Amino acid sequence: MLTMRHQPRPSPRPHEAMQQMKAEDREKKPKFCINDHIDILIEILKHLDGPSLGVASSVCRLWCTIARSDSIWEHLCFRHVSSPPPSSLRTIVVALGGYKELYMVCVRPVLSRLLHSDLVRSSVWTRDEVQLSLSLFCVDYYERRLLGDTSPSSLMFLCKPVNV
Amino acid sequence: MSLYSSGTSAASSAGSSVSSTTKPSEIDGLLAGAGYRVRSSDLRHVAQRLERLDAAMVNSPAEVSQLASDAVHYNPSDIASWVDSLLSELNQTASLPSDLPELPELMVGPGLNQTVLAEDAWTDHDAPQHQQLNNQFPVMTAMEEDSGIRLVHVLLTCAESVQRGDLAFAGSLIEDMQSLLTRVNTSCGIGKVAGYFIDALSRRIFTPQGVGFGGGVGLDPAYENEVLYHHFYEACPYLKFAHFTANQAILEAFDGHDCVHVVDFNLMHGLQWPALIQALALRPGGPPLLRLTGIGPPSPDGRDSLREVGLRLSELARSVNVRFAFRGVAASRLEDVKPWMLQVNPKEAVAVNSIMQLHRLLGSEPSRNSPIEMVLGWIRNLNPKIMTVIEQEANHNQPGFLDRFTDALYYYSTMFDSLEACTLQPEKALAEIYIQREICNVVCCEGSARVERHEPLAKWRGRLGQAGFRPLHLGSNAFKQASMLLTLFSAEGYCVEEKEGCLTLGWHSRPLIAASAWEAPLALPDANSPAAAPGIFVNPHSNPPINSL
Repeated sequence: MLTMRHQPRPSPRPHEAMQQMKAEDREKKPKFCINDHIDILIEILKHLDGPSLGVASSVCRLWCTIARSDSIWEHLCFRHVSSPPPSSLRTIVVALGGYKELYMVCVRPVLSRLLHSDLVRSSVWTRDEVQLSLSLFCVDYYERRLLGDTSPSSLMFLCKPVNV
Repeated sequence: MSLYSSGTSAASSAGSSVSSTTKPSEIDGLLAGAGYRVRSSDLRHVAQRLERLDAAMVNSPAEVSQLASDAVHYNPSDIASWVDSLLSELNQTASLPSDLPELPELMVGPGLNQTVLAEDAWTDHDAPQHQQLNNQFPVMTAMEEDSGIRLVHVLLTCAESVQRGDLAFAGSLIEDMQSLLTRVNTSCGIGKVAGYFIDALSRRIFTPQGVGFGGGVGLDPAYENEVLYHHFYEACPYLKFAHFTANQAILEAFDGHDCVHVVDFNLMHGLQWPALIQALALRPGGPPLLRLTGIGPPSPDGRDSLREVGLRLSELARSVNVRFAFRGVAASRLEDVKPWMLQVNPKEAVAVNSIMQLHRLLGSEPSRNSPIEMVLGWIRNLNPKIMTVIEQEANHNQPGFLDRFTDALYYYSTMFDSLEACTLQPEKALAEIYIQREICNVVCCEGSARVERHEPLAKWRGRLGQAGFRPLHLGSNAFKQASMLLTLFSAEGYCVEEKEGCLTLGWHSRPLIAASAWEAPLALPDANSPAAAPGIFVNPHSNPPINSL
């Protein structure tokens, strides 16, 4: 049975001390919101893979804008290339439809298909794979322009795995 | 060859006594002709067992490969007991279908097996090679297998009688074959290919004149051909391989030149050129001025299809900042093209690109001033930096009809086999029609109507060497690119091979298309002249990499 006596305030136990400190911190420092630090946000988003970027674009408008910007996808396309691509590449890719298109239509299927085979053992790929992806991308772009509305299936063989 | 079984039921074991108590009339006649002894009453049972075997094999692929290499098969003519012994060899835990369906029709095996089995039969026309057959996987019923082999035999007999001139007999064989066709699966494998060849033979026999594969229902045949060609491009990798390999060689040859000119002997939709334009755009030092001259058949009713293609290519070149100029040359035959129509500038580097066009210039026998010599002559006089030649790797220009026919049967069976892997429709169906037209031309046509005069690479080497061309080795970049391209197709069975600087693409070690590159060195007026032509000491392997990315 506890008797209430006036006693000097006892020293706080450790976890109580922590809670007290946090409360004080919250009052003193402003809240940290990632959306206020776009450069950090971009850096983080750069490390995501394609599907995750898609999910990220559903978070909020800011994330959507960033996740859809071509520069993030450019980074994604060449993240695993051993040497950086030349600056002339950007004009061409943009003219042919942009990096996101390049990734979705070519880079992703080519990479996954090659990884399944023995040709590319690690996830690093060389300029040969990049060049091939670009060529296929270019042919696809040309077919779309030439044939008009009908969606060309030149690259469909990439999407549909074949079981022989 | 035939071993007798004394089994009264299908569950008898191997190693049986010699005498058979079954009456000959109960043994199935067709199978007996193929060397198998199965009672007619047992047929359904045997077929069911084969289905179970098929299911068991599908479920345990590892053991199947062991079966192929290690297992010893006893008494294969007694299919029933043999299948049972296989079933027991595979693990009992393999899941078998719980209730076997009633058999409305016999089971069909994959097309490859049927073709491979049929190929063995061609090596010896007189006696079916049953021992060889039994070393394969008999995943189809014996009855179908037999009908497939018979079809091939009758086809060859028919071709031989056509060569002899005995058209009446050949015609009767056509009827036999059409009835045999009802017993095989004509949607794949040997049935499908045989169907096309039977059709071609009957055209030859019954409508000897005017057997050009005429255009469809009022459509322009050139336009039709373009559409079919496009679907052939999509359905299988042969044309893609051709384009990419030729582009790589052309790219390497154009290195260091600022004005380049490509002459395409068959423009079609110009599908080859976007990739080259893009690669030139990315080359270190910037793109050259690219001129493209596309040759193609004239289009009727005012449509200028060549110009339309040129416009699209120009648009593409403009968007990637490559200076580009296009010229179309309409000609129905390649020999009608004269070099002045190409307007080649002496200062530019010229590349001549021929994808399955040169063989159309050949005739039945070599003659002086033949179209091929004339065309090769003016190509040589253009002094091209490179000429890329892609041709079918087949011998379809032999004088004897039977030889041509046999080679074509083998070649196109392999090609159809490779097409089985394609699942895109309608690409696959239209690609098959495209191939069917080639078959018809090889089989039905003669004289100037027969344009599909394919010759193997060895013959082209000789011909081009005699015309003054020197081979250029396709480098390792081309090989790597081709291998990567094939991996993307992910249908295992395609193979790229390199042979003396040329690349071939084939299906299961049968090359079907060959790519080579040639140059025409400047003719020296005097062998002792100190001013050696710059083209003589070319070392293609010292070319720098194409796109340093």
